Amino acid sequence: MYGFETVAVTIVATLVFAVLAPIVGCLLSGLDRKISARMQGRVGPPLLQPYYDVRKLMGKENAAVNGSEGVYVTCAFVFTLLAGGVFFAGGNLLLSVFLITLSALFFIMAAYCTRSPYAEVGAARETLQVMSYEPMVLLMAVGYFIAAGTFDTAGVFSLDAPVVCTIWGVLIGFLFVLTIKLRKSPFDISMSHHAHQEIVRGVTTEMSGPTLAKVEVMHWCENVLFLAWTALFFVWGNPISLLVAVVVALLVYFLEIFIDNNFARVKWQAMLKGAWIVALVFGGVNIAVLAFI
Amino acid sequence: MIVELLAFLMIFPLVVAAILLVVRSNGARKVIVGGSALVIAVASLALVALYLGAGRVEFAFSSEALSLACAAVDIALCAIVIGYAVRYKNALAGVLAVVMIALVLVFEAFFAHGIEVEHGFYLDSLTLLMVAVIGVVGSGICVYALGYMEDFQAHEPEGSKDRRPLFFALMFLFLSAMYLIVFSDNMAWLLTGWEVTTVCSFLLIGYTKTDEAIRNSFRQIIMNMIGGIAFVLALFYTTGSLGVLSLEEFVALGNAFPAVAALPAVLLALAGITKAAQMPFHTWLLGAMVAPTPTSALLHSSTMVKAGVFLLLKLAPVFAVSLVPSVMVVLVGGITFLLCSFMAISQSNAKRVLAYSTIANLGLITACAGVGTPEAIWAGMFLLLFHAVAKSLLFLCVGTAEHHIGSRDIEDMDLLFERMPRLARLMMLGIMCMFIAPFGMLVAKWATLVTFVNTGQVALILLLAFGSAATFMFWAKWLGKLAGIASDAENVEGTVHRSEWIATGVMAALIILCCVGMPIISWMIVEPYVYSVYGTLAQDISNGNLWMAAIMCAFIVIVLFASLGGQGKARRVDVYLAGVTAEQGTRRFINSMSGSSEATARNWYMDGAFGEKTIRPVGEVCCSVIIVTALAAACAGMLGLGL
Repeated sequence: MYGFETVAVTIVATLVFAVLAPIVGCLLSGLDRKISARMQGRVGPPLLQPYYDVRKLMGKENAAVNGSEGVYVTCAFVFTLLAGGVFFAGGNLLLSVFLITLSALFFIMAAYCTRSPYAEVGAARETLQVMSYEPMVLLMAVGYFIAAGTFDTAGVFSLDAPVVCTIWGVLIGFLFVLTIKLRKSPFDISMSHHAHQEIVRGVTTEMSGPTLAKVEVMHWCENVLFLAWTALFFVWGNPISLLVAVVVALLVYFLEIFIDNNFARVKWQAMLKGAWIVALVFGGVNIAVLAFI
Repeated sequence: MIVELLAFLMIFPLVVAAILLVVRSNGARKVIVGGSALVIAVASLALVALYLGAGRVEFAFSSEALSLACAAVDIALCAIVIGYAVRYKNALAGVLAVVMIALVLVFEAFFAHGIEVEHGFYLDSLTLLMVAVIGVVGSGICVYALGYMEDFQAHEPEGSKDRRPLFFALMFLFLSAMYLIVFSDNMAWLLTGWEVTTVCSFLLIGYTKTDEAIRNSFRQIIMNMIGGIAFVLALFYTTGSLGVLSLEEFVALGNAFPAVAALPAVLLALAGITKAAQMPFHTWLLGAMVAPTPTSALLHSSTMVKAGVFLLLKLAPVFAVSLVPSVMVVLVGGITFLLCSFMAISQSNAKRVLAYSTIANLGLITACAGVGTPEAIWAGMFLLLFHAVAKSLLFLCVGTAEHHIGSRDIEDMDLLFERMPRLARLMMLGIMCMFIAPFGMLVAKWATLVTFVNTGQVALILLLAFGSAATFMFWAKWLGKLAGIASDAENVEGTVHRSEWIATGVMAALIILCCVGMPIISWMIVEPYVYSVYGTLAQDISNGNLWMAAIMCAFIVIVLFASLGGQGKARRVDVYLAGVTAEQGTRRFINSMSGSSEATARNWYMDGAFGEKTIRPVGEVCCSVIIVTALAAACAGMLGLGL
């Protein structure tokens, strides 16, 4: 009644997420590089290359501009894990969304605290990215509530039909901002993994060695969580739906890789305008229709 | 015992104000202000502790003499305004004051008689929340003002008159008037407190007597006089047609018969909206920042604007059932939240950012009041509490920073983390409390969102979603500015007055206590109020999630004050400048001409998209149209009823 069991379940789920998400995320990242290479007519690195990269980063010397950068990155990492824990414990979807925003804030502050000109540019752009996707992500949670009758993710298992049946407009809007959240072109404005798009890598300019390794693992976990948000649209009371949801999530990931390889980065104005208009049209109209009928 | 405590809280600050008016010695003033601030805080907390969790308590008290005194005060206040209007040749303010005097006289002569308010004073949990905010935050700001005004006076030109006695007297008068507002069930007395706060802030805004200060103070008085006149007109209607002068009875009546109460509800809502600086009346609060910073802190956090939202929250049960006033309040609040959050992005003046954020958050509370369901009130009360503590801390921090770095521009707050380490951390705490989970303000916004979804307020959901995104932008970039660390910065924090540290420390402690203790506050104060008004319990966020937020808050606070700024184990390297660094620890690099250049960066303000020029007219037109339409609809409705 005092809610302490919620806290306990979330902590357990966070620990489980902290173990499993990096493994799944690492494999996804390896798959990403493999598929991207094939799309570009290359063979590509082995599937476990991201793991080798991170292991190598862990072994590098710990060098930093100041003592606080690492603290901020650790905070960002911890809150990403907590967001995953809340989600997979069947907890409140909005809380999961808010914790990811908190994690983004700590990541931004890690870049700002270095006072490196390149990192500052990246941090400002990252702030703008958050502002671009935030409305749609909030509307995604609201749409979920309207369709499922609860903000708790556990609620999907008592549904007769997946929420996508009623909030497909919200899903389309969410897929649009998912590209920003997964840091894929054309919206990889704050930091890009395409060498041809920028010379110095935005937010992570001053991060190296173990700190950069942490950022990398955090990114894996984020990807898993964001795909899980997407998968949530396709789950209902039937256990088979979990399989459907995983397949859909993988398809969405493939779609994102495809987009990533086929678009050049856009200017921030286009991203902000695009994301907000999409949120208003697909998210807003969908929710309005549901509210008035 | 309790009645005496109530009377003490209303009268004691008044006495202190009178004494301060004649005390000219700085040392004596320090003792009086410090001591009485402590007394007021302790008395307020004692009252809260004694009545914690109790429902509504009414005190049988009615006094013809007090009513007459209140009317006399109303008229005297208008006379002061007329005096200033004549001296500074402001016709509009003078005319409004004359109208106000006429209305008050007519009210006293023809309407107020024969209407008895049996229980003149009352207490409920919303009052207790306000008492805590006024008593602790308000008097904390008075303490802060001691050190601040000393620096302020030192910055004044040689030989200028020391008007600090008036300043401190007005601050305490303000507190007294606020207590009158939150304790009075008799709306005529409430109106007197309302007018006292209006005129006090008029005098405080004009304190420096510069042209800008005078101009802004008249803007404030004109806008708030409109609200005051709307208030009196509402009283004409409630006494003349409905025969009630008690706020409680009016709310009950309005809840039972929405149609007859629509017009007075709209008028009272208009009064609340002007005081809470909602669009199109928001410019008075922006102008108020010419005043010394403690004034801004007082107006923005614990008094004045909070009186506006207090009245709106009180009227919520009427809004819940009455369409016209509800739509007006909801839309004005929602639109104000969105547009003022946008405009805050384009500002680099720290106090202006704070002002826009205040207006935006008051808009959210206003919208909650307009929705009027038990869940909305739950959210609105938390918004009010967290906004009061966080905003007062931020204003005090900006004021202190201004005196030590010589600027209130956010761009000049570069490296504050090193130059004023303790102050920067306090400021970061305040900022985080304003906009990010798991801190109080965001949890309250979360509750607001849940409320809007539950009641199907699509427009409000959209306004909140986009407004929150803008909120993230302007706070995060400010936070980033503060967070920068460089080894060569000089610490300029040594000369900060002790009174300033005490006040900011108290506010920071309050933020932490309120954030961590949120589930307990919900259980002890907010839910009892909701229950006493609606007879049902309501909580938008489960206890489990509240506790999780509380634990995370504690974690972040520990990181902020204990871990950040340490040396760490890593080897120190210079930042990457795409070239050879010219000087260690700075951002100077060897340029292509073999000279040295400095890399500089400014925050983004995106004036083209979010500038005041583009957005302000939109908001003013929209909100004016909404208010005028609502007034017309309410009048038409009244005629339709044949009243």
